[in-house]
Amino acid sequence: MKLIISNISGIPIYEQIKQQIKSAIMSGDLQADETLPSLRTLAKELKISVLTATRAYTELEQEGFVKNIQGRGCFVLGQGSELLREQLICKIENNLSEAIHAARVADLSEEELHHLLSILMEEKTDE
Amino acid sequence: MNNYLEVRNLSKSFEGFQLHDITFTLPKGYIMGLIGPNGSGKTTTIKLILNMLKRTSGEVKILGFDSITNEQEAKRNLGVVFDSNYFSDEWKISQVEKSVSAFYENWNTQKFSETLKRFHIQPSKKVKELSKGMQMKLMLACAFSYDAKLLILDEPTSGLDPVSRDELLHILSEYIEDGEHSVLFSTHITGDLERTADYITYISYGELFFSGGKDEFIDSFKIVKGGCEELSADLSKKMLGIRKFSTGFEALVKTEDLRQFAHLNVEPATIDDIVVFTSRKGEQYE
Amino acid sequence: MNNIWKATKLDFSLIRPYVKTICFTMILPVVFAAINHSLLTGISFAMCFIAMTTGYTFSITEKNSMERLYGILPIRKSDMVIGRYIFIIIMGAIALIFSLVAHPIILLILGESVSILDFINAATTGIFLFALYTVFQLPGYYKLGSIKGRVFMYIPVAGFLITLLLITKIPVGKSMLFVTLINSPVLLIVFAIMLVAVMYAISIWVSIKILKNKEI
Repeated sequence: MKLIISNISGIPIYEQIKQQIKSAIMSGDLQADETLPSLRTLAKELKISVLTATRAYTELEQEGFVKNIQGRGCFVLGQGSELLREQLICKIENNLSEAIHAARVADLSEEELHHLLSILMEEKTDE
Repeated sequence: MNNYLEVRNLSKSFEGFQLHDITFTLPKGYIMGLIGPNGSGKTTTIKLILNMLKRTSGEVKILGFDSITNEQEAKRNLGVVFDSNYFSDEWKISQVEKSVSAFYENWNTQKFSETLKRFHIQPSKKVKELSKGMQMKLMLACAFSYDAKLLILDEPTSGLDPVSRDELLHILSEYIEDGEHSVLFSTHITGDLERTADYITYISYGELFFSGGKDEFIDSFKIVKGGCEELSADLSKKMLGIRKFSTGFEALVKTEDLRQFAHLNVEPATIDDIVVFTSRKGEQYE
Repeated sequence: MNNIWKATKLDFSLIRPYVKTICFTMILPVVFAAINHSLLTGISFAMCFIAMTTGYTFSITEKNSMERLYGILPIRKSDMVIGRYIFIIIMGAIALIFSLVAHPIILLILGESVSILDFINAATTGIFLFALYTVFQLPGYYKLGSIKGRVFMYIPVAGFLITLLLITKIPVGKSMLFVTLINSPVLLIVFAIMLVAVMYAISIWVSIKILKNKEI
């Protein structure tokens, strides 16, 4: 797994860690039951504070991506996890509502929006 | 015991300076930065913790031991690094060990020589032949050799080049990695703390301005920027510090007040921004 | 006790680079004893010299800002003070023993006779003078530091000059106490040791008080 922290992105460091671990899980880079580096090792290696790393891991756990087991480390729950699926659905809903909102502002009809979605999906399958 | 350092209502009066009611707690396993401009009371606070200055009132506990009534026990597990070394210039490194090790029952000679090797310090050299960075590492090597649980550093990075500063931060991160050691680190070079520190204690003009999580500290403030015409008297009141110039202004505001500034350009604040703006205390300059 | 001894050893490691200089200062009094043909003046001179070096530990500490090291070591301030007194007393003792051996030898070579009584008198005077100098010097150094307290370095010189004056001026036999003491070596030694012990006790107490109230 790759973790890169940017100091100038303006996104808080814990958020950057969360996003990157999440996408690694979703893309399958991180498999279920794999252990993440220990909090303190991660903090040392990324030169970040332990509290920042703790926050990232705690929030990942709350969101159902990983499980902290005292003394054994932090385990990836995997894509199959029900919570993860819910998370993803929630994310889709949010993004879609945003798209709908933007469409209204741009005066786009429902049909046109559907059409746009199909085009995008086709493009993605081509990739 | 979970708190390695507890400072409660610490006060000290000098002629012309007062350190007033300083309270903070450093839990086991973390790094705390002690920040503030020069003369704000950082070194005074550290000397009071070490009982090198007599406090007017308050209480200090190091690993649970009162720093005055249980001074010996408190200092047994304490390592200290000052901005310059406190050994005799004429001592060879091997003599430093001989002189200091006797005072610590758990001194580990092997650990000392290993640490020296890691830091590239030759035991045959004299203290005065070491560079500033090396002298700092020598003090660290001593503290590591008796496994000091709490490390207090007073302005360790002043006068160090960027390479040595980076090394120091790495050494400190390693030191706390096992969760059994803590660091209190005073500095006015806040860039050192921006990433590694877990907690921040900010002392300004002898008063405690903030003590708590670093992220919380940084998140509680924002920098807003705008043109001169956007600066109303109402808004000015809410600003903790402001810098005006011919084409606009920038100011530090509390995140909780951000709604009123939503129309302005908002940026996250750095520790430096917070210290600089709050130390100016709303005083304006062009 | 353990910590006190550690403090003494730390003091010794401080002056280690200067040991040669200190040893060298012990040669001059031998010459002085030879010129004056007097064991008593030789010993007084030697103790004056060695007492002038007691500021070394303080000046080395001050030069290297080592009060910070003393401030972080896990040792009581009182132990530190007592350790330093013991160190100073050991220095004095070594100088005295060396002089008590070297001076009579030189005098004997020069054809002078040295009686046991002379020897005991010189030894007692040496102990007493050294104590007298140092009990004032150390609290002075603790209070002012070795740079501001430089004047304390010269206490032994003043003391030595006064001693020289007294040795020639005291009309022996005037005071009853003096006569009794001079004539009874045992009494003299006991009296001197008791006096010296009391002097040091008070001096140590004062020094500890000073150090405890000192802000670094």
